[in-house]
Amino acid sequence: MATSLRGMWAMMELELRRIRHDRTELYTRAVQPILWLAIYGTIMSNVRAIPTGGIPYIDYISPGVLMQSVIMTSIFYGLVMVWERESGILKKLYATPASRFSIIVGRSMAAGIRGIFQALIIVPIALLLGVEFLPNPLYFTLAIFLVFFISGGFAALSIVIATFMKTRERFMGIGQVIVMPLFFASNALYPITMMPPIVHYIAIFNPMSYGVDAVRGLMISGDLSNLLLDIAAIALFDAVMFVIASASSRRIIE
Amino acid sequence: MLAVEVKDLVKTYDGTIRALDGVDLNIGAGKVFALLGPNGAGKTTLIRILTTQLRPDSGEAHVFGFDVVREGAEIRKIASYVPQEMSVWTDISGFENLLIYAKIYGVPSNKRRDIVEDALETMGLREVANNLVKTYSGGMIRRLEIACAMLTKPKIMFLDEPTIGLDPSARKAVWERLTSFRNEYGTTVFFNTHYMDEADLYSDEIAIINSGKIVKIGTTEELKHSVGGEVIRFTVENYAIAEDVLDRIRGISHVKDIMMRNSDLVVVVEDAESALPVVMQALGSEGVPVAKISTTKPTLDDVFLKYARTGLEAGTNIWDVRQVRRRIGRG
Repeated sequence: MATSLRGMWAMMELELRRIRHDRTELYTRAVQPILWLAIYGTIMSNVRAIPTGGIPYIDYISPGVLMQSVIMTSIFYGLVMVWERESGILKKLYATPASRFSIIVGRSMAAGIRGIFQALIIVPIALLLGVEFLPNPLYFTLAIFLVFFISGGFAALSIVIATFMKTRERFMGIGQVIVMPLFFASNALYPITMMPPIVHYIAIFNPMSYGVDAVRGLMISGDLSNLLLDIAAIALFDAVMFVIASASSRRIIE
Repeated sequence: MLAVEVKDLVKTYDGTIRALDGVDLNIGAGKVFALLGPNGAGKTTLIRILTTQLRPDSGEAHVFGFDVVREGAEIRKIASYVPQEMSVWTDISGFENLLIYAKIYGVPSNKRRDIVEDALETMGLREVANNLVKTYSGGMIRRLEIACAMLTKPKIMFLDEPTIGLDPSARKAVWERLTSFRNEYGTTVFFNTHYMDEADLYSDEIAIINSGKIVKIGTTEELKHSVGGEVIRFTVENYAIAEDVLDRIRGISHVKDIMMRNSDLVVVVEDAESALPVVMQALGSEGVPVAKISTTKPTLDDVFLKYARTGLEAGTNIWDVRQVRRRIGRG
């Protein structure tokens, strides 16, 4: 148990050190959310066709845009595993006392570390664009914590995909195919109730919806009526993804 | 105590390719052991089974008494491994690479810095410790990888082609530092190579592997001795010698063995001075045009040719070429 935690923490520390040396990716990944908020958000605010429960539209979508940006990073995190599989890094890690479970979960949560930084860059930008966040440090911390866990879960999903798509090109293709549907079939840009029935059902099984709902409640609306359900859904998603990713970890190096 | 004990080990890939075809091997503790073979002979597969990354299909393998399948966790505590491919993170510094591994191995925090500094010193990386690894040369990267492997003073180190793609001076630097580390700590070193000279110079014992089987094992001297007294090399240019001609020459009483290697006809004899005229005459009467003749003591190349019946360069695939080029590309 101690060995496993040690392994996981080492993987997260590795990510922190990487970010310290090169922050370019964090900045470039902030461009897309800026476009969503500044252009799409501003224009759609004038339409006023989407029921947001009295919240300005740009405020309404900022948790969704944040979540999409973070999940995008996570979904492509498997690329790191593809690279580490091609080089000898994974083989070497698998020959250390750290368990495979701790390596895989540790790497997934390393993406969560990246997600936190991503969120911490987007929040001030949103502030500048006039989004009003709830001034509650406890809520804010909990929201960041949930961002950490949800991006960890999606990174584990990405690792599972990486075990099947062993080349970069295939991986890039499938990554794109996953991210946008996840985004559109969620409550990021509009309430689930507005969706056509089929998309509605997809949204219910879309872990991103729960992340957006929780972060929206904690950061913007203050509506925490579904918070426990959201946390439970995120925890379940993470647990399932960690188990599947660990189970498929053997495939990666063979 | 045996460091490595392998019995009738079999591993197949996709149910068809027999990478290991009944390997038997015993290696004493504290030895430097070389597994020599052409690419695709099964060297890497064997090392990956011994480091518990792959499971064998059948047979048994033990490292310091621990079973590779049932007691993998115990092996991973006492063994370290350097894969053939690059295995360090290039976007952090050399120091940080070692620090992360020290944490994975659970080195207590008050000892971490000393241990990392020590490994950097041993592998001659002190000056570049805080530079990003992507600025390192190929030789420095290899030394960093070996520094990672010696970090926890393991009982056994598994090195897969430790000097592949390095220039001669970088190879020498790697081996000098590895040798002094081993002399200090008595670590068993198990390495794969297809460089004869490396096996010859640095190992206590050599096993030759070909097509998934160990074909010969012994010290360099034993192996060379087993080939026979002396070797006569006839350079035959632009002429293919027929099999039956080879058989007739093999039949000459002075000749112990005969092998073709590229355009060289390698003839093993007891005593070159008395055998040379006889063999020359036989070649002349068969009409084989000889361009050059030399006589030497048997080398490991001859040993390899005798037991593996193939040159070492055979079987190189695109993947190996790519790996080597990648390393060379880094200088």
